[in-house]
Amino acid sequence: MVELLAPAGSIEMVEATVANGANALYVGPKGWSRRRDAYELSDEALREAVRIAHARGVKVRAAVNTHPTSQELPRLLRRMEVWVRDGIDGVILSDVGVMAAVHRTFPDLTIHASIGANILNDEDICFYREIGVRQVVADTKLSLKELRSRREIEVGVEVLIHANKCYTYLGKCWMSPYHRLERGQDESGKDLFKGSPNRGGLDYRVCLEAWSLLRGNHDRWADRVALKNDAFFLLEDVPHLIDMGVHTLKIQGREYAVDLIGRMIKFYRDLIDTYSADPHDFDLGPWNTRLGQIQAQRDLERAKGTLDLFQEAREAVQGCQR
Amino acid sequence: MNRAFELNTGISNMKDLMASDLGPYDAVYLGNPFCRDYEANFLERLEDLRAGIRHCRGAGRKVYLTTYAAPRNYFLPQIRRAIAVAAEEGVDAVEAHNLGVVRILHAEFPGLAIHIGGFANVYTDTGAAVLRDYGAARVTPNYELSLEEIEGMAENTGLELEILLHGKMPLGISDYCFLLEYEKAWGMKCPDLCQQDLYLRQGEWAMKSVGKGVLSGRDICMLEHLPRLVAAGFRSFRVEAISEDPVYRRDIGQVYQEALEHSLSGAYQILGDWWKRIQGHAKVGLCNGFYFGQSGQLYIGSQLSAGFGETSANSVEPLSRAVSSQLKVIS
Repeated sequence: MVELLAPAGSIEMVEATVANGANALYVGPKGWSRRRDAYELSDEALREAVRIAHARGVKVRAAVNTHPTSQELPRLLRRMEVWVRDGIDGVILSDVGVMAAVHRTFPDLTIHASIGANILNDEDICFYREIGVRQVVADTKLSLKELRSRREIEVGVEVLIHANKCYTYLGKCWMSPYHRLERGQDESGKDLFKGSPNRGGLDYRVCLEAWSLLRGNHDRWADRVALKNDAFFLLEDVPHLIDMGVHTLKIQGREYAVDLIGRMIKFYRDLIDTYSADPHDFDLGPWNTRLGQIQAQRDLERAKGTLDLFQEAREAVQGCQR
Repeated sequence: MNRAFELNTGISNMKDLMASDLGPYDAVYLGNPFCRDYEANFLERLEDLRAGIRHCRGAGRKVYLTTYAAPRNYFLPQIRRAIAVAAEEGVDAVEAHNLGVVRILHAEFPGLAIHIGGFANVYTDTGAAVLRDYGAARVTPNYELSLEEIEGMAENTGLELEILLHGKMPLGISDYCFLLEYEKAWGMKCPDLCQQDLYLRQGEWAMKSVGKGVLSGRDICMLEHLPRLVAAGFRSFRVEAISEDPVYRRDIGQVYQEALEHSLSGAYQILGDWWKRIQGHAKVGLCNGFYFGQSGQLYIGSQLSAGFGETSANSVEPLSRAVSSQLKVIS
């Protein structure tokens, strides 16, 4: 049976996703994941998340899906030791150096290559497999045909069924920190890079600004050019993905409201179970209607979040640490 | 050429190569890493690639092949063909931005030197070490790293690092070219669209668009900071001019060729003429990228903020006081 992987940006979200049928969930340890710290968990909360999840047979992954500084690696490995001791079942990583170091130190820990690793072809997958990765998150731009070839490689494949599809390849974009980067440290001394999603800070989504396009400095060619960055749900593709033997269907959204994520999980739980029980008599019609309601709520939340980010991106950087 | 440093640049096709003065440069990366449809891309025109390699060799330059920054499965056969041609012609190295391509080079072309490009996301010393085990001879650290981090990487890995010295810093790559939506409105088609010197502007913000590629609007300029780069032991430098015309490539290359020679001689002086030549090509202004640990579009320095170019409202105190105090400027 395909695994349904849910986001958990808070203990309330852990409870909601477990209650609504997730098979696994991922949490971001405070300071180490690709989200605002408001959606990350302290060590204590992470322990609680593991307790709640494991009580219902749900696995927990720690998302350490950023590129830390080189000096932080020993600190990260020490933190990892705590999370492993507290019972995480796997870890989601982006940085090849971190992957290699974690694999050396914790050879039994399952490493998932994050979408931020931007794995685009079969040779890529083989590379990551060789350095210890057991499962990869497929880039959102890949087609079903491209995903099919992954079956030939001994690696788990994870597909995002709710996420953002950026204009650029995720993990290969520095537009946000180019416009605003604020460096700092948290109380534990962890380096923070506000504005750099690759380094664990928030993404200001500057791609969605209303850009004008000029030739040279003055020749205006177009206004309100948006570099597409759409949030999407997969629906029609889900049965195909299940048939293909994809290992995990993943929902992004630690930053959304708990009840919205709960509805998403319940929706996909029901969809997967219904299709799996009787694939031949499966009708997508009713599912479209139900998803439409969830999408409306998601769109509202995302639009507000984007406007807030635009405003924040224009704020002056108050301090700067090298 | 046999200098104590290497100044290199990238050129996409034969037309650009023939129009470019390679005089200031020690090495050239051939090929456009952003788009397969880029006009007469060396990576797609293999006879051009062969001729281009011979041209550079004939001019006494080192020649490297770059490869696509975001290759899907269906790119790989053509990438293998291009590498095979480059290997036959004896290129000095192949640049890979994609770890799958690194694996191909390591496994299938063991005699070829591998350079790791800026899109490969080398953020950590351990990441660089992993790639060294796959045969990397040179690494361009991720553009987001500060100079401090890059210096540490050089020290801790012993790898040769390539430094983006001047030009348009890559900010992203897509599989989709939004310029195609405007073919009808502008009466212009691919592959001419992305060569129109197009800037995305939003207030004071600016990015250059080359269709699938997004670049910094402002030119990275490290002229003031050369002494620090040289003192740290860096000797491989890139002028990122893949989206620029041959005049830009020549003028900027000449400035840095002279500046590097001065810097290595131990008595660094910024000549007034250098600023003028750089200014003439910096349409949107200058920046330092992420080298000083802050927003990439800002310029940190002592001279430009005193009278040249523009500084942002977000600018902070110059971070390079130690370096700046060593500089003597002739204006």
